[in-house]
Amino acid sequence: MNLINEASPHFHGKGSTQWIMGMVCLSLLPTLVASVFLYGLGAPLLVLVCVATALVTEHACCALMHRESTAGDLSCVVTAMLFAFTLPADCAYPPAILGTVFAIAVVKMLFGGIGCNFANPAVAARVLIMLALPVALGSYPDIMGRPLDAVTGATPLAMNAAGQEPYSYVDMMFGLHAGALGETCIITLLAGYIFLLVLRVVDAWATAPFIATVAVVTLIAGQDPVYQILSGGIALGAFYMATDYTTTPMTAKGKVVFGVGCGLITALVRLFASAPEGVAFSILFMNMFTPLIDRLTRPQPAGGAKHALI
Amino acid sequence: MEGRPMFSLHKTRGGVHPPQCKDMRDFACASITPPERVLIPMNMHIGAPASPVVNEGDHVYVGTLIGEVSGLGSPIHASISGTVSRVATEKLPTGATAPVVEIVSDGKMEPDPSLSSPTYSNKEEFIACVRDSGMVGLGGASFPTWFKMRAPEGKSFEYLVVNGMECEPYITSDYRQMMEHSERVIDGVFRAIEALEIPAAVIGVEDNKPEAVHELRRVVREKGHAERIEVMEIPTKYPAGGEKVLIKATTGRDVPAGGLPIDVGCLVVNVTTISRVEQYFRYGMPLTCKTVTVTGDCIANPGNYRIPLGMSVRDVIDATGGMVKEPRKIIMGGPMMGRTITDIDCPIIKANNAIVVLHDSAVLPDETACIRCGRCVRACPLSLEPFALDAASRGHDAVALDELAVMNCMECGSCAYVCPAHRRITASIREGKAVYRGEVARLTAPSEKKEA
Repeated sequence: MNLINEASPHFHGKGSTQWIMGMVCLSLLPTLVASVFLYGLGAPLLVLVCVATALVTEHACCALMHRESTAGDLSCVVTAMLFAFTLPADCAYPPAILGTVFAIAVVKMLFGGIGCNFANPAVAARVLIMLALPVALGSYPDIMGRPLDAVTGATPLAMNAAGQEPYSYVDMMFGLHAGALGETCIITLLAGYIFLLVLRVVDAWATAPFIATVAVVTLIAGQDPVYQILSGGIALGAFYMATDYTTTPMTAKGKVVFGVGCGLITALVRLFASAPEGVAFSILFMNMFTPLIDRLTRPQPAGGAKHALI
Repeated sequence: MEGRPMFSLHKTRGGVHPPQCKDMRDFACASITPPERVLIPMNMHIGAPASPVVNEGDHVYVGTLIGEVSGLGSPIHASISGTVSRVATEKLPTGATAPVVEIVSDGKMEPDPSLSSPTYSNKEEFIACVRDSGMVGLGGASFPTWFKMRAPEGKSFEYLVVNGMECEPYITSDYRQMMEHSERVIDGVFRAIEALEIPAAVIGVEDNKPEAVHELRRVVREKGHAERIEVMEIPTKYPAGGEKVLIKATTGRDVPAGGLPIDVGCLVVNVTTISRVEQYFRYGMPLTCKTVTVTGDCIANPGNYRIPLGMSVRDVIDATGGMVKEPRKIIMGGPMMGRTITDIDCPIIKANNAIVVLHDSAVLPDETACIRCGRCVRACPLSLEPFALDAASRGHDAVALDELAVMNCMECGSCAYVCPAHRRITASIREGKAVYRGEVARLTAPSEKKEA
């Protein structure tokens, strides 16, 4: 009789990293479908290119390091989808592929793979492309079916900066304006986020303060807070990137600090910097503070602690 | 008429909801054919092992004293009548080395004729009787019951907290005790608070056992103890039956780090322990058998069985009707905190309350990397950071372990249960404690030498 000898607990919950990442991918599907209606078949093709690149890159990195491949945990698929969602639907493939390889190989795998990356790979890649290849992101295609004179549309934030007539809230909710392929359709992003909330894959401890801070700061600055929240990458950032496990704080308290920080930086960049959008910068910036926030918001052990070494 | 409740339910932190698997709850405790021989280890309690007081060839009855202790520990009694066939110090099937007494049965299960119900006239004599009963924490802790009943100088008990939570999956032995011996439980609680001069007692029962709550409340009412004893229904959540968690839920108090329940005025006793103490006071029969839930998908006739101490797991399984599947894992206790055994000839000891024999769910998924999802932090009932403890333990970082309060961990397993990466967090923290203890010892040893 060969009996297993191992330490308790002998029950494990049913969850797995793969299930969590799979649910995140699933929650992004409505937005992907919406992008087809808004920007045509080029949108899902771009996403597909990024996903394929991510899978190949992660697999190759693991092979190079003589490790078991972690591509199957689907985390790289989430990264690729989120990165693709920040790109214009007609973005050329080379910058998209470059960004994905950078996200997976440099930001994630070089730092030790899943769970070890210091910054959100999708956000870091987005910022890389934004700074290194601004031409690739310079123009956003307008939604399909609009008059031909607006093949390349101005994003709501660019219009806002230029003092043009804003879009209606309804247009903003449904993404009926120019923008990145997965950032504009707020209604599907929200649906996906609520789906993840219900499954308890994510919580609102960072998301709610993020959005609230943007609203409050822009309101004080005399802007329309609703318009601000509905425009740019706030929905994608607050729902999906400020809820990333690895690069955001662990405790509720820490998450609130993180969310407020993101909201503050986003609003300040939008109001005072030369760039029209600040979501990616704010998240990347706050990612750097996550270890410190974690340290400062460590829970107090029940009954206190007795220290013999410190 | 019942007055205002003495206790109110307090919120506890963290916790998980593993499948309960308490299918044996309605199976009344059954006796099994006594074994031909028992191997009784002398280390069935916290403290130094007992020393055998019988010799090979001696005749013993059920309840005859066979092992005595001095200091922290608990005396040990024969669980079957027959002849002592071996007294030795040897390596037990569990791996530990300890004195053992082997008894070959005469098939009569004759109780020791010299046993009679003990009498006492004060607190000290009461505690001495509890000591003689051989009682230890039957919930699994196996801490000598008499020892914790002695409040140190300057401290006193405000509450007796009786643990009827039984929050581990599978186990139903405490539930059977509460259902089948409800009067004995309440009498035992009342005797204890009278003898130990404790103002009030609360019996905590998880709300997945409403019948037990109802039954205990009925007896409390009928016996007119409602002024002093309260039965509290506590939301089902593992590990609500952990000593510190139960104290928090019933009194709102946090046991200080490195402290004991007495530091917050509490005496915590398992419900079966208190019932068996009462049994001793009624009939004089010390602890010689245990109600054990024998279950798991391999067991042909699962149920709750009354089993003499020292009977081997093999004999127990055979006596209940054997197995229907090849076992892959045998757990002594529940699946959250129980220990696996690799030798099926392991004897049943005082702390055992379940044998879970698994085939299907025996193999756990492989570990993957921590994704910092924070589920372990939310699940920890003691507000620790298991993911960080896991990393510090694997890195042998004693200072980080100290900062993270590693010694506070009660190893309940909630963190490893919720981990989507299936990391063996609890096992790793257990190793981290050893690293920490080693470092503390290393740092304190030379300084003592210097002083000397």
